[in-house]
Amino acid sequence: MRCKCLTSIVAGVLAVTFVSWTSGAVHAATPPDGAVAPARISGRSPQDATPTTTPIKHLVIIFNENVSFDHYFATYPNAPNPLGEPAFTAAPRTPSVNNLANANLLTNNPNFTNTANGTDAAEPFRLDRTQANTADQNHAYTAEQQAYNGGKADLFPKFTGKGTSGGVGAFGTKGQVMGYFDGNTVTAMWRYAQHFAMSDNAYTDTYGPSTPGALNVIAGQTNGLQLVATTKKPSTLAAVSYYMNDGQAGVTMINDVDPGYDVCSVPADQGMMTGKNIGDLLNDAGITWGGFMGGFNLQTKNANGTTGCKRSTDSAIVGAKVVDYIPHHNWFQYYESTANPTHARPSSMRTIGYSYEHDGNTRDRANHQYDLPDFYRAVKAGNFPAVSFVKLPAYQDGHAGYSDPLDEQAGTVELINFLQQLRDWRSTAVIVTWDDSDGWYDHTFAKPTNPSADAEADQLDGPGKCGTGTPLAGVQGKPVNGRCGPGTRIPFLVISPWVKPNSVTHTLITQASVVRFIEDNWLHGGRLGDGSFDAGAGSIMDMFDFSSGGKAVPIYLDPVSGDPVSKPPRP
Amino acid sequence: MLLAALTGGLLAVVVRSPLPLDAWAAHPQASFLLSLGKNPFPVRLVRPPVAPLSAMAQLGRQVFFDASLSSSGRLSCASCHSPEHAYGPPGDDPVMTGGAILSRQGLRAVPSLMYLERQPNFSVGPDDDETENVSPALLAAQSFSAPRAKKTARDTAQSAANLVPQGGLFWDGRVDTLQDQALFPLLSPFEMDGGSIEAEAARLRQAPYAHLLIQLFGAAVFESPRMTVAEALFAVARYQIEDPSFHPYSSKYDAWLEGTARLSQAELRGYLLFNDPAKANCAGCHLDQANGDGLPPLFTDDQFEALGVPRNMALNVNRDPAWFDLGVCGPIRNDMADQTQYCGMFLTPTLRNVATRRVFMHNGIYHTLQQVMDFYNLRDTDPGAIYPTGAGGKVEKFNDIPPSYRTNTDTVDPPLDRTLGEKPANSEQDLQDIIAFLKTLTDGYRPGSGGGAP
Repeated sequence: MRCKCLTSIVAGVLAVTFVSWTSGAVHAATPPDGAVAPARISGRSPQDATPTTTPIKHLVIIFNENVSFDHYFATYPNAPNPLGEPAFTAAPRTPSVNNLANANLLTNNPNFTNTANGTDAAEPFRLDRTQANTADQNHAYTAEQQAYNGGKADLFPKFTGKGTSGGVGAFGTKGQVMGYFDGNTVTAMWRYAQHFAMSDNAYTDTYGPSTPGALNVIAGQTNGLQLVATTKKPSTLAAVSYYMNDGQAGVTMINDVDPGYDVCSVPADQGMMTGKNIGDLLNDAGITWGGFMGGFNLQTKNANGTTGCKRSTDSAIVGAKVVDYIPHHNWFQYYESTANPTHARPSSMRTIGYSYEHDGNTRDRANHQYDLPDFYRAVKAGNFPAVSFVKLPAYQDGHAGYSDPLDEQAGTVELINFLQQLRDWRSTAVIVTWDDSDGWYDHTFAKPTNPSADAEADQLDGPGKCGTGTPLAGVQGKPVNGRCGPGTRIPFLVISPWVKPNSVTHTLITQASVVRFIEDNWLHGGRLGDGSFDAGAGSIMDMFDFSSGGKAVPIYLDPVSGDPVSKPPRP
Repeated sequence: MLLAALTGGLLAVVVRSPLPLDAWAAHPQASFLLSLGKNPFPVRLVRPPVAPLSAMAQLGRQVFFDASLSSSGRLSCASCHSPEHAYGPPGDDPVMTGGAILSRQGLRAVPSLMYLERQPNFSVGPDDDETENVSPALLAAQSFSAPRAKKTARDTAQSAANLVPQGGLFWDGRVDTLQDQALFPLLSPFEMDGGSIEAEAARLRQAPYAHLLIQLFGAAVFESPRMTVAEALFAVARYQIEDPSFHPYSSKYDAWLEGTARLSQAELRGYLLFNDPAKANCAGCHLDQANGDGLPPLFTDDQFEALGVPRNMALNVNRDPAWFDLGVCGPIRNDMADQTQYCGMFLTPTLRNVATRRVFMHNGIYHTLQQVMDFYNLRDTDPGAIYPTGAGGKVEKFNDIPPSYRTNTDTVDPPLDRTLGEKPANSEQDLQDIIAFLKTLTDGYRPGSGGGAP
């Protein structure tokens, strides 16, 4: 075994030596910034040695897909527990959350009574565990604004109703956007909420789908899109596209487009972002970090024989093969400084998280972008980066239409079971949150703090109106359109020994609050600037209790049922 | 002497076997095992998980067998999708009859409900997960000028990239989910003839299993007729997904794939012809190998084909010479009418349990496998044996497709690439052997029971 490892390390090193890095401008040879991999891992880890504001030395962000808060927590903590399904009984003193049940909106819902929804009008309804495989909803920037209808949140069936149909065994109905799961399906999420901390007031920074969410959670900024290739015109009501003019001769990304130059991207439509993301700041400070995207390693061959960009996994629940890697979810690929467009492999597990190999000169080819198995391998080998952004392979990311809550639960639970067994768990926090709401109904509305007034794309308060006032600056320092938000409410869980167990915070936070936490913990409160949402984002610090000594106890769950298991499962 | 006898014996095996000599030369050991009817490369098949039916699926089973949902009170899902007949039609009528007094003829042969648990959504190929926002109509438009790879049993990867429609349910792929599929027969005036969603919801409210609907979906389930019907039909879909009888993968061929059954010599010859691009080439579309992760083959590539089978005058609707059932481009399906390059195309069905059927092709024109074999074998070499002869003594080839769309028919995939008067691809014995092989696709095989089901 040892021999094999050595051989592969040698091979990796040789590969680095002989493969010339074509994008030289990005990866200048002199290291002014970026961490250098240690020659070997022993004693106190570099992450533990790095000063932090809190006892948290490792942050793992599990960034799942397309769930609104009410879609998973509408009746929390009460579930009907039908025979044969994982049963859920609330712990004593479970705090009340702002959901459909407590807002008394399970019946006489305005989405049912507002006749503008036509025959799609529907009351909220329970989705059964057997209905985990649902159709996908419309979650475009403009459609979501229209569904919120100036804050009345009563036009979801009309504007974000059914999109694609899902697999052959999927459930679909008119008004399906009103469906919600409960503790008999998203059992693990409910159990984590019971044992750790949850927010019931977390929002996407802007309206819109995956890519804007992916950018906001690392950069708090969706302005500054550069079109690498496009077949589209700026978004209009009639012809939706992924970008709009920002009103200052620039472009804001409002919907999904693949990252430029990524070998897996659709050639005809690609974009890159100008400006900085949190990876740049971590590099400046020499802090280890990584983006761990399921499906990123193009050399891996799956059990079904697929490999490369088309690598896929068969999901028994979806009833289909689902491609593992989705380029338009890959946060860091949109920035030249943090991209790995060829999906180059790290030279070894020891360089995971680092900009340079241990010689201090050789730029690691992966440039902080890895596959999810790399995370497990590196951490098992004692190399646990300070900040890890994780995207599960697509069939597990929770996105209706090609993934589902049960596959999502399996991937999420497996990772959290693994992390809770680490010696480093005592200095770890896991954030589980989502990139957008999928358009699923949620009853709460956050009045936009950052307005936008594009005549076509903005419709929240009528044509050309989403909030009032002057918008934040874009990357060029001038107020820009296209970032109207907060957008839609999403679940947000923090799992760590340091959280307040079974607590629910009501502080308004957004995806950029993740950026802010990283900055507050590792970077002395430094900010990205250039109009990033990080400057005004709420703090998640009230979900923790750092005076407690970190006593929230781990809970190990069965990945399939979400029920607790007594023994920590072997990873 | 002994050596000579052995050599002679082996030679006899080689010569008598249906395997080509180059196969013997390249893979002698595998060829030897194969010539004995054994699978030289057994695989482990991964079948769908079997678990007790969920409450949802149990509800679905009751709906599936509920004839009170039809206007006649005599038709349930199971009437046409008979569990005793591989969830296909119970008799040999080309189409079923329904309506209030079971007098109205359907338009197409009843497809089996089996082996749909992995059916992909309708799309226009090639498979491309990134283009989720591109409409089928747009891709279809591109296909007008796109070249099409020939489908052969040896290279199905190539044809998977063809810009042809694939997936979906019904003969024309017009819906994607089993739930949506179930609604059509429920409301069709010549099937269960339910009248309206509201009427069906009212029937469901009176059903003996109404309490199960309330248990699973809450009392509000009966407040919206759409929701009532959607939930009930999802339950039916769930029954089809969960109940192993819809996808047992228990044929002799499955056992052979796993190395636990031996093919007879006729079955083996049929299997080789089925896979031979120069002969029957059935496997070009009816894929017969397990994929990489052991999912059993479905005997379809899920693509659409215009075979141009003869018009079936047993269908009343066909008495109108202006009426044509053109599959993907209409008239039952109505969203692809402009895509005339797909006129005449129908979804390639699975061949699993095909030997239990007595109705074949979308219009039910054939009633025996022999007729089906003859169609493929003689369509181009001797069309007079397949199609009627018109007034002027002219054979009316492709008479169920209007002349302007006849170029849509498949004339490139062997054996449909032959010409008039050419020797048919398969001999009469070949056809019998292929039928023998097709009988190994019948579920319910028990070791020692011979060809098909007990």
